[in-house]
Amino acid sequence: MKSVIRSFSSVKLAIVLLIIITIASVLGTFIPQQRSPAEYVSRYGQMANILIKLEFTTLYRSHWFISLLILFGINIIVCTLTRLSQKVKRTFSPQLKKKEKEILVLKTKEKIRKKCDPTKIKDVLKKEFSSKHYHLREEEKENRTYILARKKILGLFGADIVHFGILIILSGGIVSGLGGFRKNLSFSEGEISAFPKANFKLRLDKFETEYYPNGSVRDWKSTLTIIENEKPKITKIIEVNKPLSYKGFVFYQSSCGWDWKNSILEILVKKRSDPAFSKEIRTKLGEKVSLEEENIQISVLHFIPDFVVNEKNEIFSRSLQPNNPAIFLEGWHENEKIFSGWIFARFPDFSRIHSEKETDLHFELKDFKANQFSVIQAAKDPGVNIIWLGSVIVIIGLFLAFYWPTREIRMILEESNGETEIIAGGIAAKNPEALQSDFKEVMSSIRRTN
Amino acid sequence: MNESVLFLTTFFLYIISTFFYFAFILAKKDNLARIGFKFALAGLFTHTMALFLRTFESGHAPFTNMYESLSFLAWGSILAYILIERKYNSRNAGPYFMLIVIALMALASSPLMPKEAMPLIPALQSYWLWLHVSVTLIGEAFFAVAFIISIMYLVADTRERQGKIEKLGLSSDKLDFISYKCIAVGFPLFTLGGLIFGMIWAYKAWGRYWSWDPKETWSLITWFVFAIYLHTRIVMGWKGRRSAFIAIIGFLAALFTYFGVNYLLAGLHSYT
Ligand code: HEM
Repeated sequence: MKSVIRSFSSVKLAIVLLIIITIASVLGTFIPQQRSPAEYVSRYGQMANILIKLEFTTLYRSHWFISLLILFGINIIVCTLTRLSQKVKRTFSPQLKKKEKEILVLKTKEKIRKKCDPTKIKDVLKKEFSSKHYHLREEEKENRTYILARKKILGLFGADIVHFGILIILSGGIVSGLGGFRKNLSFSEGEISAFPKANFKLRLDKFETEYYPNGSVRDWKSTLTIIENEKPKITKIIEVNKPLSYKGFVFYQSSCGWDWKNSILEILVKKRSDPAFSKEIRTKLGEKVSLEEENIQISVLHFIPDFVVNEKNEIFSRSLQPNNPAIFLEGWHENEKIFSGWIFARFPDFSRIHSEKETDLHFELKDFKANQFSVIQAAKDPGVNIIWLGSVIVIIGLFLAFYWPTREIRMILEESNGETEIIAGGIAAKNPEALQSDFKEVMSSIRRTN
Repeated sequence: MNESVLFLTTFFLYIISTFFYFAFILAKKDNLARIGFKFALAGLFTHTMALFLRTFESGHAPFTNMYESLSFLAWGSILAYILIERKYNSRNAGPYFMLIVIALMALASSPLMPKEAMPLIPALQSYWLWLHVSVTLIGEAFFAVAFIISIMYLVADTRERQGKIEKLGLSSDKLDFISYKCIAVGFPLFTLGGLIFGMIWAYKAWGRYWSWDPKETWSLITWFVFAIYLHTRIVMGWKGRRSAFIAIIGFLAALFTYFGVNYLLAGLHSYT
């Protein structure tokens, strides 16, 4: 047991763990995470299986990575605790009686004699140290006075506070991992949605997209109402970066989408032989519309909002934005298909109908309308507040460790034959320059005494 | 005055400053370094005005695309360097440091970087953008100074081992110390800006404070490297060459977080 504690209190173990965790994190950024097995096979071939087995493809939540983090946490606890009790003791009940030798090995030191009373010197020191905001302790023993003056003592504990904060953050991460919940909800206006683990429902009253003059999205705004026990409770407009919180749940504006499957399409029908002819029809996907004069029925089989063709000549939608809308249209005469083809809203002249029998008709996709729905993320993350608490502690600790450098000056005053011998030394690992100047001023104030 | 004129003026002032710093190294006249410092200071002034003007014209923080953030990083680096030189008299680092700044400015002004201020996508419309990016980049600027000083340490140390004594200025011990000081300033800033503000903003915008997105992960990696630097140094008493190597690796990790991730690894954080 002792040896386990000893190895966990070692900083060498901490360095080794840090190096391993760092290398693992690097790997995780180069191996794409959480993709389908097929993608790994096409990327890594034979290696794919090994990577998946070793959980390199879900690295940051793999058993071994989490174990490393836990080991690291234990390392911090043991290491900090084993040092802390000693440190607390040394700080709050410091040993004042030091040997002359121990003071004179310090880098900043001096030994002088002065023809005056030690009480007088003590008074001077008290004044000088308190004007410099040093905290003073003294002890008298066998006509020697031991003095310890310290400043910014909390700086000594900066590192421990940082470590404590990191532990809090790690535990917040565990709480989030175990108790967190997250779900994307798609809403159309007026829709009400329930979701697991909550005793209330959410209604989308209104959804708006704001655009910049150049057409790019400026913001999405959803008006949400919380409904509890069939009664509306709160209504709030949420935006990206402005979520709604209720009973531990937070609702974020995530993005938006269009309900393209139920779009309403407006198609303009023209005749090549008769420029005066023009007819507008409104239809939906899959609906059949008759053009009575021609004894033809047409129907739209596909709507693609952002039409692209890849190298393999496959057609798909690059996004859900209506960047290049296209429909696929078929025309029937009795039970015979007579034409079919793609029609592009942006390129009316490009619309080409591959007809089995020549047709006189020309189609244009004039307009398309679909309901926009709002994508809202519902999240419950009980670890968040723990994380913020840990962050504040880490920041306080870092501030103390780096910007609150402890300074310490020790002195021995000894009276002999009406003279006082003063042995003084000081140390400040983090700010030796400031210590030196304090030290000089204190010593010169002693010299000025008479 | 418009922003691009100010930017070019700044670039020009930095170039002159670099010339003086190099002249100082070659001619070994302290005066030349002082002139170099003054030009850098003047550059910092016009650069600050350029950033203000940019903010004013675009109506958002001056680091929302690559051009802006490079320019801001150069600004932060000059600021960090000026503070360090005032405090530690580290003039010898001037010329090498100015080269980094010039490189950043040149990259920013290259035609590959679109200059026009684009409207912000919804996720970027937050005051956390200000806090997160500015504090992180200033922290990284201090890592950049530590990087240059560490390289100088390695050179100075090699020379001292060969028995050569550096005539100008800084002993290797002092360089080692300055490098530690830069990291002692940069580490808390980076922790606050890069990790903590980053988590807060991610939580506000995406609903999760940490998602192991490549940019986040690389910030964490950078942070780990500097944590290794601090512990090997404070607890295990490493100094000198080994510390310098870790500081160099740490800055390279920061650089990769900044550039590499945007261009090589896809994630939530890439601009556009
Ligand atoms: C990523 C995790 C860690 C961070 C960010 C961290 C941070 C720090 C900081 C900022 C300091 C003060 C450095 C200075 O004064 O210049 C420090 C000191 C120290 N750390 Fe850590 N630490 C971490 C993990 C660990 C672990 C796992 C151990 C245990 C083995 C450890 C042991 C120590 C010790 C012994 C000191 C010196 C304490 C002192 O001077 O009072 N640290 N750490």
